[in-house]
Amino acid sequence: MPYADLTRVVVETDQRQLPRSHAEKYELKTIWYWYPLYCLGGISFVAFIVLTITGILLGFFYVPDGRLEISASGDLTNPAWRSMLIIMNDIPFGFIIRGMHHWAAHIMIAAVFLHMCRVYFTGAYKKPRELNWLLGVVLLLLTLAFGYSGYLLPANNLSEGAANIGINMSRASPVIGDQLARLLFGDINTLSGVYILRFYWLHVFILPLVVIGLMVLHMGLVWLQGVAEPH
Amino acid sequence: MEIERVKEKILEGRPGFPRQYGPQRADHQPGIPLFPQEATRDLVTIFLLTAIMFFLSAFVTPFLGPARSPQLSELIVPDWYLLFSWGLLKVADIFPQFTLGGGTPLKAVFNAAFWGDLLSGIPIIALLVLPFLDRGRETRPAKAPIRSAVGVAGIASIFTSSLYSIREVVAQRWVTPNGAALIPDGTMKWFFIIPPVLVGLTTYIALRRLAYQPMRIWLLPYVAGLTLVVGAQVAWIFFTPGGLGAEAKPWIGPIGIALFIVFAPMVVTTFALMRWPESTARKVSTWAGALGLIGFLAFYFALPVVTKPAALGWVLSVLWPNMNTLVFLPIFGILTAWMGTRRPYSSYEYLLNECYQCGKCHTVCPVTKVEDDALGGLNLVYNTFKKQHDGVPLWTCLACDACSAVCPLDIQYSDYILEERAKVHAKMAADGGQKE
Repeated sequence: MPYADLTRVVVETDQRQLPRSHAEKYELKTIWYWYPLYCLGGISFVAFIVLTITGILLGFFYVPDGRLEISASGDLTNPAWRSMLIIMNDIPFGFIIRGMHHWAAHIMIAAVFLHMCRVYFTGAYKKPRELNWLLGVVLLLLTLAFGYSGYLLPANNLSEGAANIGINMSRASPVIGDQLARLLFGDINTLSGVYILRFYWLHVFILPLVVIGLMVLHMGLVWLQGVAEPH
Repeated sequence: MEIERVKEKILEGRPGFPRQYGPQRADHQPGIPLFPQEATRDLVTIFLLTAIMFFLSAFVTPFLGPARSPQLSELIVPDWYLLFSWGLLKVADIFPQFTLGGGTPLKAVFNAAFWGDLLSGIPIIALLVLPFLDRGRETRPAKAPIRSAVGVAGIASIFTSSLYSIREVVAQRWVTPNGAALIPDGTMKWFFIIPPVLVGLTTYIALRRLAYQPMRIWLLPYVAGLTLVVGAQVAWIFFTPGGLGAEAKPWIGPIGIALFIVFAPMVVTTFALMRWPESTARKVSTWAGALGLIGFLAFYFALPVVTKPAALGWVLSVLWPNMNTLVFLPIFGILTAWMGTRRPYSSYEYLLNECYQCGKCHTVCPVTKVEDDALGGLNLVYNTFKKQHDGVPLWTCLACDACSAVCPLDIQYSDYILEERAKVHAKMAADGGQKE
């Protein structure tokens, strides 16, 4: 039995319980092997919903204040990091909520990237979908910005390092470098810790506002233009 | 009289001769109902995804670490999805660094961080202009080999630049027996370019082959060129005074064996591509690759047993600094030779699947104008494809090729019908040649 037929048998057996696929609807002889990859956009949307729910829950307990303090034992600490400790150790199911937020973020970014790969390789960006591709590229960048800003919030050592890298990269822009770094991070070095507040506001208000708006447009265009089938 | 009958049949739209060919067609194809079918399928995905997230957060708790402090000691790396950008930032020190307009308000410092920013911006700009550059109508990845090859090379370059971002870890973890870094920084920098280019070329050749193109004209210069580069590198190591370091000299025997294992399969594959038919070349490249791999693994695990353990370290100290040539080129050379000579994986099903049932082939088909079955809308190609009408469509085709001539997608239908007939004959022969 040829390989293509084997696959078809598997799909047909599988779909005695599941709905009929595109391949069956149009009576196609060979199924389109890429179909499982057509749900990646949906997966990133589901991950985004999980992120919204867990993010709202985390927001009840997180303190967006990264200013350095010295604890009773003489160690460096800060209110944001201490609120993370409380979420992880004292709040009921707090570590699960944070874990969900963490892993949903990773899954969302991976799904968005793979979704872009799928769209690229199946040529789904072609006419008439150019605008939706551009929206998608912007959404990818905003998702990375979400990831980066969220990565800074725990105010731990990794956050400090990532903020330093971010400040250096912003300052490297010619002419406006220092102003850009001041705008984003509040300070051109991380010492003051004000960058935590800046990125908190970006992470929980500005980015969600923009991203939800663009997502609605992105999905609305898919609704209007239809899924770019390869056939 | 007969002429009248034929003429009558040619006129479409008469009773018994519908305009709709192929399967039931309508302007609006009804989709899958949202409830319960689509909802069930979506809920399966959603529940599975949520379950994976719960599992991960319960068993792989995210790390918090110590509170932030200006005195950083450990190696800081960004999250995995920003590693490529971090790698680009690190490699940017190869660019010239200077300052323009110093002492004025418009002072611009062209330092490594600036070049890193610029390098990170290039892929984003490429993504933004992509739909305006690629205006062709082909969507399938296998039918658009250039686009697919560029895409796969791009993914490979994300991996290589991400790996470069942890160059300190690589330098610490892999060392020669005398403690120096096994892979020098220069080799890591070339690693940025060479594997993605090789991946792109190999993908291009493999995909063109998938679409039934004879690829020997591509394979010969490509594989032979890679072989020459590896040969030159091996010769340089052995025949120039500084080629083999003083410390590695005592281990020239094992090093020679390792380089032979790496180089010989390439030479054999190139020779096979030049001298023998494609099918033989494919078999030879398969065997050369498999034996080379097995030989290398056997050598790798046997060497510390039969000699002092340091021998393997010195062999690797020759291989890894030249990994872009001595390791990747043989792998990609043999892989490409195999992919470029193998038979396309499917038969006409692959091509016929492009049919969007416009019905032009049926309109020009002479058989359907005289065959009685045509009254029911017989379509030789379609009905053969669906194995319908008891084999009549398969055996009444004249192979006149009129259908292929009008096909808007250039599908060679009569070839398909002839191939199907040949299959039936082959099956009959295998069954003992019995009639009926």
